[in-house]
Amino acid sequence: MKKIIQIVLLTFLLLPNFVKAQTQEAGDVGAMWSFPVVYEYDEEVTWYFDLSGTTFLAESDVYLWMWSPSEPDAGNWENSSEFAKLTYEGNMVWSKTLTPTLYFSKTPEEIAASAGFWFRLKDKTGTLQSGVAQVAYTNFTTFYTDNQLIKSYPSAPTLDKGISILFNSNLQPGFEGATSVHFHSGLNNWDVKQEYQAWLPEIVEKTKLKDLGNGFYKMDLIPNEYYDVPDGYVMNNLVFLMVKDEWAATTPDHVLNAGEYIPPPPPEFRFFPLQLSKKDFLGIMRKNNEPGVNKLVYTITANDVILTGEFTGNVSEIKGFVNLVTPLQNVENLTSIHVLVKDNNNNVISDTTIPLKTVD
Amino acid sequence: MKCKLLYGLAMVCLLAFGCSKNDDGSHVAPITLYEKVNGNWGLMNLKMVDEFAKKNAIEPSEQNLSSMFNYADFKINFNVDEKMQPTSYEVLGDVPPLFAPTGYWELSAAFQPTGQIPLMIYLYSDVQKTQKTDELRLSSVPGSNGEMEIQLTRTSEGTPFITYIFKLNTLNE
Repeated sequence: MKKIIQIVLLTFLLLPNFVKAQTQEAGDVGAMWSFPVVYEYDEEVTWYFDLSGTTFLAESDVYLWMWSPSEPDAGNWENSSEFAKLTYEGNMVWSKTLTPTLYFSKTPEEIAASAGFWFRLKDKTGTLQSGVAQVAYTNFTTFYTDNQLIKSYPSAPTLDKGISILFNSNLQPGFEGATSVHFHSGLNNWDVKQEYQAWLPEIVEKTKLKDLGNGFYKMDLIPNEYYDVPDGYVMNNLVFLMVKDEWAATTPDHVLNAGEYIPPPPPEFRFFPLQLSKKDFLGIMRKNNEPGVNKLVYTITANDVILTGEFTGNVSEIKGFVNLVTPLQNVENLTSIHVLVKDNNNNVISDTTIPLKTVD
Repeated sequence: MKCKLLYGLAMVCLLAFGCSKNDDGSHVAPITLYEKVNGNWGLMNLKMVDEFAKKNAIEPSEQNLSSMFNYADFKINFNVDEKMQPTSYEVLGDVPPLFAPTGYWELSAAFQPTGQIPLMIYLYSDVQKTQKTDELRLSSVPGSNGEMEIQLTRTSEGTPFITYIFKLNTLNE
């Protein structure tokens, strides 16, 4: 009897530990970013979280658990609410779109005075949690007093990352009393343009800057989406000018040089295999193609037989195999083939004679 | 205590000898590889290995051809007679003829050779099996999973330069 009591007591002693041990650590949240890049506390924003370094499963339901500036989902650790659920964006990145003042039921002043945006990410039932993390907030209010015409976050844009461009129209003569301000812009010295076409309602909307009040405006965009550039496009700069109403006034041209970009690796062309006979398949492959190159056109000459065809692909790789087996099975005295490969721009990629092995 | 020990010993004896059966002299012919290889086989995977690249550690040294040139439809039948002796074979599916698509076949050994000796499937154009057309290596013998692997190696002056690896599964149901 005494033993039984001891066991029961021991069980109760261990129970809290057991319950606690049910929440597993998933690891720390990796890179975080937002769109818009800079935003007011009463502005809608999407936060992105890279969880590739955690044990959260791709596409799984992940929830936001925040306690600063307030605790919107308080008391629901074991059953997170739908409003706290993140959206899976692919590649182990999840996002949450919210307006801070609404989500936290706080005024902008209260949020500004708080300790910041502190959170964990978790599964619905609280059995898996990330480490404690903070969403960094970029305070851009100094722009209101800096007497600067244009300021961008970041200062150097990159093609696939967001950029916020602030404009102080008070410093640009002619912009007084503007009803709206529009972004007339392009990439690489106007190579790709998004003009301000004041007669097209959807373009008027797309190019419109957000009015921050008191003559201050903000433009938020992600270059590759905004300009819809082809795969592999290399951005060197973003050129723009601000336009008042229907071209009532403009700023001078501005150029933002693109952030240091990593030049793409050089193209790599090769045949596969390196040795072959007329009874085999010939692979033709090219990696790291230049932007716009998406096709390889081949002409293979084997004595009197000429084989032609093409393979399509993309910037990362174009690849295909030619069947030599069937068309060359009756070609006698064949010691080599001549292979000419051109791209879709008619540039010669390879002009080679390949010796053929004689099969034992 | 002593009693329990005795029981224990008795149990061990029972387990060790209880179910043994005397050989009654009946004899069944041993299962040959022909019984396992014969039948219809479908393609699971076809890989082309660049033996020159592989030997010289150049990448890539292999490519998957399973989805090309109709290889998804590749089938091969190895037929035997009632005495389990190999007769004809046939490749089905409109695929490039990497080896002769029809003919006669036999194995280099009816039983799994020991050691490093490769097991070969010899292909012939004539029923007398005097005109050898190709040699396939049976690199994985069919087992209970109903899969086998055959390899076709191209050699020139004795040096292999390409190997095609056919991973097959049985279609005998």
